[in-house]
Amino acid sequence: MEGIFAIWQRDLTKFFRDRARLIGSFSMPILFLLIFGGGMSGSMESMMAGNMPEGAEGFNYVEFVFPGIVAMTLLMTSIFSAMSVIEDKDFGYMKEILVSPISRVSIAIGKMLGAATIATIQGVILFLLIPFLGLSYNLMALIQVIPFMFLLGCALSGLGLLFASLISSTQGFQLTVQILVMPMIFLSGALFPVSNMPAWMDIIVKINPVTYGVDVMKKIMIDVENMPVAVLDAMGLNLSVFGQEVTMFAEVIFIAGFAALLVLFATFSFQRANA
Amino acid sequence: MSSPIISVKDLTKKYKQTEAVKAINFEVEEGEIFGFLGPNGAGKSTTINMICTMLKPTSGSITINGYDAKKEKDKVRASIGIIFQENTLDEKLTANENLMLHCRFYNVPKDKRQERIHEVLEIVDLVDERQQRVETFSGGMKRRLEIARGLLHYPKVLFLDEPTVGLDPQTRSHLWEYILKLKEKEGITMFLTTHYLDEAEISDRVAIMDQGDIIAIDSPTALKDQLGGDMIELSTEDNDQALREIEEKVNGAEVSVKGDTIHLKVQSSDAFISSFIKTLEIPITRLNIRKPTLNDVFLSFTGRKIGDAKE
Repeated sequence: MEGIFAIWQRDLTKFFRDRARLIGSFSMPILFLLIFGGGMSGSMESMMAGNMPEGAEGFNYVEFVFPGIVAMTLLMTSIFSAMSVIEDKDFGYMKEILVSPISRVSIAIGKMLGAATIATIQGVILFLLIPFLGLSYNLMALIQVIPFMFLLGCALSGLGLLFASLISSTQGFQLTVQILVMPMIFLSGALFPVSNMPAWMDIIVKINPVTYGVDVMKKIMIDVENMPVAVLDAMGLNLSVFGQEVTMFAEVIFIAGFAALLVLFATFSFQRANA
Repeated sequence: MSSPIISVKDLTKKYKQTEAVKAINFEVEEGEIFGFLGPNGAGKSTTINMICTMLKPTSGSITINGYDAKKEKDKVRASIGIIFQENTLDEKLTANENLMLHCRFYNVPKDKRQERIHEVLEIVDLVDERQQRVETFSGGMKRRLEIARGLLHYPKVLFLDEPTVGLDPQTRSHLWEYILKLKEKEGITMFLTTHYLDEAEISDRVAIMDQGDIIAIDSPTALKDQLGGDMIELSTEDNDQALREIEEKVNGAEVSVKGDTIHLKVQSSDAFISSFIKTLEIPITRLNIRKPTLNDVFLSFTGRKIGDAKE
């Protein structure tokens, strides 16, 4: 336990000391919020309105896209924070960790929790923008979504750890991750509804773990219960796999399982590592 | 004698093409400084990595502090401290933070941490710099901090892999002072590798490794004695005449000529030299007497100097 906590705390300390990283990591989501939230909302809403039956005018694109952009921030920050493993190898510190008696599972969990915490902090900071975007979310919903953001952060940083164990250079890591992260965001329903996709793309949407993360976040943050079905449809908030509508509970279990599986992978890679 | 702190039996490491370590055997006694020498590529690092549980041996066994390095990795890891060749400090953190992390990795009891950190910082004279970030440290300070860190969990054996590589001569000699101080104060067993053979002289015993084999293992003095005495190198105004004189009048010396220098190998130069100088009528232009060094030992065992070995 002590080892997990030590590794976690080290990554956090380093995050807060690195001002450039702290500021830089907010620029991307803010840019996306400006472009998607401000720029595209008008055209998206009128596009959606065309698909909607009469009387369903409740579609607010910014309200739809905001949880998506928070999820995107989680994804990027989690995965890039996992890059600390490669940095630690490059700077030799990984040796200090690996020759110590800490169990390999603890190293993997510590690294995962560290990246997930950093990601969650960044996501929560984005909440500060809510008033400026003219949005109003239920405060309880915002508080409820934080633990889930952390869980999602764990799963995604586990994914980052997997990449980090396969790729040995930071440049290679950044390149690979960028190629992978973009489709993961676009095909997750974070930025636009993914309800009417071509069949092959629909498969990617359904195997993309980010899809379920985004879906849960939207369901918690947006008041789905008091929304007309047509609007839900238009927002793509009625995700179904094999004709079965997915429940939020199932999605949470899926993401938790995904995180656990990736921790096992990471543990295995630390076991093999000869620094 | 108590059982050895490190015991290596038939340790072998094979890679696809080559056998990096060929069934080596050795033991290290508690409290000694054990020097592990050899040219680059001799298999030293491979051996150390296997002893430190970082590399899986192909076959053979390693016992450290009574624990099996294959089966009880965690216990072995807790029993040893390692100073790597390269820097493994977190430079973005302060000295204190680096040490504190180490305490937590090694489960040093909470109430003892501050006390121990202070203790090890005192040994390496870094108490005043403890709140500074490591990136502001000089090369020598970083090395010292690493040594301090390696001591925090009171390891039974401290591995020092080329601890002075890349440091200037002054810092190097300082560092050795710290290391010797440590040995006297704490009685820790030290396992040391170095390229600088003069530095290995402080070892109680040295093992010389070459091409995956241990070719000699003994105290530096005994190894040098095996070479048989001291070396005298001299030049005279007329070497041929001098050689004739030596042949007529001098006993108990092995004579050889290299270039314009005559080499004499004698049992003890102290007794030999005073009478020798009186005997020789030809004026001596240059005279050099030296005791054999580990370099000579290395040369005679491997047929080359340590620096000549192929990288």
